[in-house]
Amino acid sequence: MSVSEKPRFIAQESLIGTRVTKMDAPEKIEGKTRYIHDISLPGQLHAKILRSGRVHARILSIDTRAARALPGVHAVITAADVPDQRPIGVVRDHLPLKGDRVRSLRDEIAAVAADTEEIAAQALSLIEVEYEDLPLLANPEDSQKPGAPVLHDDHPDNVAMRFEYSHGDVRAGEAESDVVLEDTFKLHYVTHCCMGVSGIIVEFDASGSLLMYSNTQVPFLHKREFADYLGMDPSRVRIIQPPIGGGFGSKLDIYPFEVICVFLARAAKRPVKLLFTREEEFLASPTRQPVLLTLRSGCKKDGTLTFRQVHTLHDNGAYTSWGATTPFVMMQTFSSLYRVPHCDYHTVAVYTNNPYAGSFRGYGNLQATFAIEQHMDMMAEAIGMEPLEFRLKNAQDAGEVTGQGMSFKSCGFKECLTTAAARSDYSRKRRENLEQRQSGGPVKRGIGMASMLHVGGGAKIYPSDGCGTILKLDDFAHVTLITGASEIGQGSETVLSQLVCEELGLPMSAVTVVNNDTAITPWDVGVHASRTTFIAGNSAIGAAKKAKVKILAAAAKKLECAEADLDLRGGWVIRAASGEALLDLPRLLRSLHFSDKAELVMTTFYYEPPSVHQDKAFKGDVSAAYAWATQVVEVEVDTETGIVRMNRVTAAHDVGRVLNRLGIEGQIEGGVVMGQGYALTENLLVEMGVMKNPNFRDYKLVTAPEIPEMDISFIESMDGEGPQGAKGVGEAPAICVAAATANAIYNATGVRMFDLPFTPERVYRALAGKSEKLCWKPE
Amino acid sequence: MTEIERYYAPASLEQAVDCLQEAGGVTVLAGGTDLMPQKNAGRLKPQRTLMNIRGIAELRGVELSGGEIRIGALTTITDLLENPLVRQHLPQLIEACNHFASDQIRNVATLGGNICNASPAGDTLVPLLVLDARVDLVSRPEGRMLRRGLPVAEFFVGPGKTRKAPTELLAGVTIPLPPENYLGRFFKFGTRPALDIATISIGFGGILEGGVLSRVRVAFGAVAATPVRASHTEAALEGRPLTEATIAAAAAAARDEVTPIDDVRASAWYRKELIHNMTKRILDHVAHA
Repeated sequence: MSVSEKPRFIAQESLIGTRVTKMDAPEKIEGKTRYIHDISLPGQLHAKILRSGRVHARILSIDTRAARALPGVHAVITAADVPDQRPIGVVRDHLPLKGDRVRSLRDEIAAVAADTEEIAAQALSLIEVEYEDLPLLANPEDSQKPGAPVLHDDHPDNVAMRFEYSHGDVRAGEAESDVVLEDTFKLHYVTHCCMGVSGIIVEFDASGSLLMYSNTQVPFLHKREFADYLGMDPSRVRIIQPPIGGGFGSKLDIYPFEVICVFLARAAKRPVKLLFTREEEFLASPTRQPVLLTLRSGCKKDGTLTFRQVHTLHDNGAYTSWGATTPFVMMQTFSSLYRVPHCDYHTVAVYTNNPYAGSFRGYGNLQATFAIEQHMDMMAEAIGMEPLEFRLKNAQDAGEVTGQGMSFKSCGFKECLTTAAARSDYSRKRRENLEQRQSGGPVKRGIGMASMLHVGGGAKIYPSDGCGTILKLDDFAHVTLITGASEIGQGSETVLSQLVCEELGLPMSAVTVVNNDTAITPWDVGVHASRTTFIAGNSAIGAAKKAKVKILAAAAKKLECAEADLDLRGGWVIRAASGEALLDLPRLLRSLHFSDKAELVMTTFYYEPPSVHQDKAFKGDVSAAYAWATQVVEVEVDTETGIVRMNRVTAAHDVGRVLNRLGIEGQIEGGVVMGQGYALTENLLVEMGVMKNPNFRDYKLVTAPEIPEMDISFIESMDGEGPQGAKGVGEAPAICVAAATANAIYNATGVRMFDLPFTPERVYRALAGKSEKLCWKPE
Repeated sequence: MTEIERYYAPASLEQAVDCLQEAGGVTVLAGGTDLMPQKNAGRLKPQRTLMNIRGIAELRGVELSGGEIRIGALTTITDLLENPLVRQHLPQLIEACNHFASDQIRNVATLGGNICNASPAGDTLVPLLVLDARVDLVSRPEGRMLRRGLPVAEFFVGPGKTRKAPTELLAGVTIPLPPENYLGRFFKFGTRPALDIATISIGFGGILEGGVLSRVRVAFGAVAATPVRASHTEAALEGRPLTEATIAAAAAAARDEVTPIDDVRASAWYRKELIHNMTKRILDHVAHA
């Protein structure tokens, strides 16, 4: 190649902040993606689970003879067939197959593996189970009463978990308050509604190793847990994740269906596939945590917050999953969203015969924010201050270390507040809406705001919050990025590739991502806590920087110049100062490979964020960075029907820095709609332990025409630890919507609603003064 | 797993009613949008013969003759929405079709299927009641075609239950052509714009001349075991000037005469409130039209 053909790179063309199409978007749009539904292993059987259909009962007998005799059936298992089964779950209170007692409608009694799904279903219908019903515990408030049914013998008080947190002295805080408010808030059941239902394929290979095709969000935790459960060497457990049709936190725990499928594969000595039906997905996948919450807050006349005291009662359901641990996050909002000198937080998570709650995008923060942001408006009104001004007066700033020990190194909270308020014309509209409450037609306009704080730099919950990366460049300068971080539809492979390409000066087309096989990828704690871009991003950058150092060292040697004079761009080694292309990168890589030294460019990096484990009092800087947001919601309330129409959402998010603008807009739009569903339409109706609407006809997800207009602003606080300055954003956009909607309905109608959801009949009842009066205090 | 022993796709109405007459135990398939979910949920047990009537061309379409609009049972909801006669003369029916499920379902769901499914919340049933529609039932005893007409108001006897005999097939509906100055309204309350089962629905039809209402028809859906005509509400309006007092009296009559139930979608109390408030809103709109 002659010198004249070499390009010259004058301007730095950064990928950061540009709109990059998700790498998997084309194949998904064309229907070519192979989800777990599309995978069949040779010799594979199909499994189905028999569920109790009883809410609380003793099992008297299980007769599987007819099912076992059915042609095409290869395995039928009950608790009696797996004497080695042990409890699973966060506090090990959940036996996958129930032998003597069922505690909820979804409880697993037996399972069948057969040649076809139809035969498996027929076999289930042939299993006869005799039950004796037991007294029901449907209401968490009843769980603490004397004589309440005891759900787990080793928890005679029906308490699964307790959380106690405090800083300062709330009594002193209350004594110096001019205004003290106390209200009870009630949060309902909703569930994730992933487009892809739960499923697993299990195979024991010729050597006896366990291979699982799984939709889990935590492959490495799963691998260890399954090995432990089965008494296997963890290195003989391998998890492959096919493309996952949505997670949102639903796939963080180990579930009975997964263990049962392993038992079936073991019994049948064949690969076994188990897929939920949509109804089963509603009945037997976890929910968001329902919470009863009493908040006592105070402030001075000048608008200074004085104290907060919180008591919550969490309805765990029949077993304990991650839902019980949402107080970890809830208490952060109470202690640290605003500067509050005195704060107490108490949670009791109790057992009932209801569906059990897991983790769900926002992890308790939607519930906490719903309460706290209504009280912020109410206190502002009580002292005659504008809600915006009241929030600004108490909002956190960069440099603050909170009572809980969270250290805000970057903090765009005040800018979120002022940006969202200005772009929505919040203060003017709020005043005008107050004037039309008493006049005009039946449809009232309202505007409301709410803000949130959430972890944005991982969360040190496990011994490590890290992520590993292996990076290799082939002889043609194509990069394979092998990362521990799972893609669950959130766009992680795209943003990680973008960060690598930015370091190595390569186009997006130069990267292949491998991220779904525990036999290949390095360790990662899993997709949770809005951590992937931050943690896996820093890990990917670390590996790419090491590769760059190696390449530039080789180039400098060849060119007999200093490494610092060189850079990488467009697949070339260039002179940093002039942009002049010096060496073709593929050619350089080949010359390294096919030389006496025979060197390949392969690097590894493990990133561990500089966060700390909280102590026993829940204090400590648990995340490497914190995300902030303010959202303003505008509604119309039809007072003759109770319909609340969400017209517009103005969102301002401190995201550190925008990496993939298209991706982050999608995250925020999707999160807002999820928050809208939580606020307005979604309601998993559970009456006496029975789910009344396990279908999309009566469980109402938001549909396209209902989605509000959105105005999204990004506050770029350039976090010092974040990858290119970015912070996590995955959970943030869903958190404020319900709280802001409550404030908007109040602005429109003068009626304050303390319980979700704001479905038409519930709003109409509230407007008619017929709501249930909520008042709860722990015994 | 399936109990269906025979699949039959007749090409003519004669063949279809012959099959009903002879076979006994026939499940009729048209659009399938009610049939399939009901079968899959175990609420409907398919009979031995599955008869797909989709191939009977004469049962599909809309025609105007002798002062009547005749709509074939196999006419789809999309057909209705696109039909100029329906658009011009039957505004309530168009409005109901505009709130009917989703485009995909409208493309295959038939008017006849919606009628025979006889849901108290069936979207097209309330407009048909208001429009004085008659159902056209065909059978073929002893080889001769027998047609019988029945006012749609008499056709429904309970949720999923009609006066159609097992040997009869619904061939279509006949609707007297409304006069030029006819006012028709339909309102469906659901919690979202479409893809929803009515919490309540209201149909209104009548003529407003010199501020006075005549030929008033009011019908409600999802407030009783069948879609119902609202005779007290009609009486409160018929022959009266459409004043605020009349509207208030009619809305109160409406609330008093419906007998809804509590279910997963709404309480009886709320349904009565909606009937009152939305009857009032519709009449207000009519008064200001």
